[in-house]
Amino acid sequence: MFNELQALLLSGALISACAYALFSPKVSGSLIALFYGSFSLGLIFVLFGDSLLGLLQMATFAGAVSVLMLTVILLTGESTLHLGARKSVLVLAVPLLVFVAVGLLLVTGLGGPENPNPYQDISSGVLLFIWQQRPWDLLILVMAFASAMVTITNLFSRES
Amino acid sequence: MQADALTLLSTGTILVFMGIASIVMSKNLVKTIMSFQVVLFGANLALFASGLGIGSRLTTDSFVLLSITVGAAVEAVGLAIVLGVQRKYGTLDPSKVRKLRH
Repeated sequence: MFNELQALLLSGALISACAYALFSPKVSGSLIALFYGSFSLGLIFVLFGDSLLGLLQMATFAGAVSVLMLTVILLTGESTLHLGARKSVLVLAVPLLVFVAVGLLLVTGLGGPENPNPYQDISSGVLLFIWQQRPWDLLILVMAFASAMVTITNLFSRES
Repeated sequence: MQADALTLLSTGTILVFMGIASIVMSKNLVKTIMSFQVVLFGANLALFASGLGIGSRLTTDSFVLLSITVGAAVEAVGLAIVLGVQRKYGTLDPSKVRKLRH
């Protein structure tokens, strides 16, 4: 039951992020949605017993490919990305981020049985020091990715 | 097959079809690369879910690992081609690029 709930929630998040990425009129919005989609897919891999695949997915797509795509978008002039121009969006985005982080913590670490994953984990032995019933590590990973993206966006953003 | 594996398999299928539809309708080459990434996500998720469902995960996880690395490399090459097209033709619309070639 707990695994089905996790699968449903994360599938919903993944489909929503990808749908927004595909059908959004702004390319920068698509890129951000795709970042969250990559992250959701990595989270699915981790929660269903393959932490190596999940971390590789996050490092490759949410990290490297997202930054590569951001560079291409800025070089081609598809989006100007004025981060400081929309204070109202930030006011909405910060509580939303806190809400998502608390939801992630609830889904990954709290409320479930002692070991909610019934599947045999074939690759987490190497990564036990990263992922051992400690959802804060995942949150730290998210914060590192997000801060890297914001820093690079600031570096490339144009003066208004 | 377990219900959660079935859910993940359905999600992967939806993502693949959404990505293909977006590739067909896309007017921007960067969006085409993004759609390819969504198709890749769907294929990876479907492979992973099939491994969960049938119980033997070693083969499917190896395929997902291979798919992630090859997909990232293909995307990098695609983005480089997009940059080249933009510099040569000044647009990212595939139909305009096709007209400008003649």
